[in-house]
Amino acid sequence: MKALLVEIRREFWEHRALWMAPLAIAVALLLAAAAFGHARLEINDRPVLQNGESPPQLYQYVLFGSALPLFLAAAILASAYLLDCLYAERRDRSILFWRSMPVSDARAVLVKLAVGLLIVPLGTYALAALTSVLVSAILVVRNHGLVIGGASALSWNVLPWLQLQGELLYGLIAALLWYAPFAAYLLLVSVWARRSPYAWAFIPPVLLVIFERLEFGTHYVGQILDRSLTELLHLAFRFDAPAFSASAGTGAAPDAAVNVQFSGGADLPALTPLHLLADPRLLCGLLAAVFMTSAAIWLRRSRDEA
Amino acid sequence: MATNTESRQITPAGPIIEARDLSKRYGSFVALDRVSFGLRAGRIVGLIGRNGAGKTTALKAILGLTSYEGSVRVFGLDPARARNALMRDVCFIADAAVLPRWLRVEHAIDYVAGVHPRFDRKRAEAVLASTDIRRHSRIGELSKGMITQLHLTLILAINARLLVLDEPTLGLDLIYRRQFYDTLLRDYFDQERTILLTTHQVEEVENLLTDVLFIDRGQVVLDATVDELAGRFVQLNVAAGKIDAARELQPFHVRTLLGKTIMLFENRPAASFAGLGEVRTPGIADLFEAKIQAATP
Repeated sequence: MKALLVEIRREFWEHRALWMAPLAIAVALLLAAAAFGHARLEINDRPVLQNGESPPQLYQYVLFGSALPLFLAAAILASAYLLDCLYAERRDRSILFWRSMPVSDARAVLVKLAVGLLIVPLGTYALAALTSVLVSAILVVRNHGLVIGGASALSWNVLPWLQLQGELLYGLIAALLWYAPFAAYLLLVSVWARRSPYAWAFIPPVLLVIFERLEFGTHYVGQILDRSLTELLHLAFRFDAPAFSASAGTGAAPDAAVNVQFSGGADLPALTPLHLLADPRLLCGLLAAVFMTSAAIWLRRSRDEA
Repeated sequence: MATNTESRQITPAGPIIEARDLSKRYGSFVALDRVSFGLRAGRIVGLIGRNGAGKTTALKAILGLTSYEGSVRVFGLDPARARNALMRDVCFIADAAVLPRWLRVEHAIDYVAGVHPRFDRKRAEAVLASTDIRRHSRIGELSKGMITQLHLTLILAINARLLVLDEPTLGLDLIYRRQFYDTLLRDYFDQERTILLTTHQVEEVENLLTDVLFIDRGQVVLDATVDELAGRFVQLNVAAGKIDAARELQPFHVRTLLGKTIMLFENRPAASFAGLGEVRTPGIADLFEAKIQAATP
């Protein structure tokens, strides 16, 4: 266990952006909450919310919106890390030092995969949850909650907070499973590329799409890639009626009232784990991830780097 | 993973490294050609050869860092299959440049202490305290000599039975080179531990070595203990007018230096050289040069 912990820490020593960037974003969010905790959203000079309601849905959406930059940053950082980690150790020849230690190649590769696919996302999740609590606390202290257009939209509300955290955790686990083959692909490119792993990771798929379009006039590859990257949302969640509906006056009626209505009920998307798990593409993706990770281990073990 | 059964295969009296018919090709280039040798415990072995002779390839095979044909056993284990287990007993320094520049000195100690069960942290800290290396420095901020010092400190704090050094002092100045070997002898070597090293600077290590293994174009051209060399090889500084008589004894190498003819002989009785000139045991550097030239067609 002690060895595993130091192997994980070693990844964060090398790739400091993995923890520094999310932390910087979290601090920025806290500062933003302190500085801009009173927002007045208006359409045609009229406040969006007029009736002083404090809907839990809006509270959840504001929290989700504040967590989004953290998750986006984590996704970019984790992808860059996975693409770089096994290449960097060969580029600076430090692989000869790492391999002089009693750490197997399988273990070294799996630790890197775990950092990129599990530890960074889950750490970001914990950071986002903590940030949302602190943001709420700052807003409560500052002005009894985030006030949007006259309505207190973000005051501490434990049940909606827990509901949102549950949804986020579920979404994160679904994403880890769905995007595991992408993580393994980046790791494989990282160990395989002799130079420019970024180019090797992204140019071949783009060339394949262009080639298919020019040669056959079809775009199946593009569609497969597009669906692979975006379809998770529709497999893991079911989106019912929108929580909010808004209508605003047009230019012809400049004084028309702005109406914001709440539909009530289940406003966060419904979870559909069985739908996701039953999709054969998930299993295929996980098998591909196992295959590509095994290939990465084999390449690290058998490649002559000196 | 080392098993108890595997550990029991270790026989201190026998060779700790045994290579049989070891071959390695890089495309059409033959780096090692059916090489066989054995190394015993408690020795300092110099693996000596020119650039591209196959030294590093042999070390990599011993360390399980490259694929090969033939058989290699280190402490009874197959390095290609049991590298992880082997690295508990074997340490190696490829060269000073392999310590990652982004790593802090204190983190390097933390890492080795974390992953190596035989690392003595107190010993490493004590040695480090006697140097100018600061714990918070990044390795990229250290001089090459300091990096080598740090690497050696880390390695010597590991209670390993075999230390493999591949051109460890390459690029270092004379002071650091001498310090390196002094530290190695003082802090590491004993009668149970073994050092296998390659170097171009044969003169610097010839007084350290107990065994030599000359390798050229993928083949072993000499495998002997330093003690054996005295009885096996003779350097004759030929007296004036005795060159023809000396040639009849079939030297394997002849050279002329400052007007003097120097001949090297192998397996000739000392009495054969009576009256032919000054007889002495050749130095390892001279012997290496002679053996390599003699082996060159």
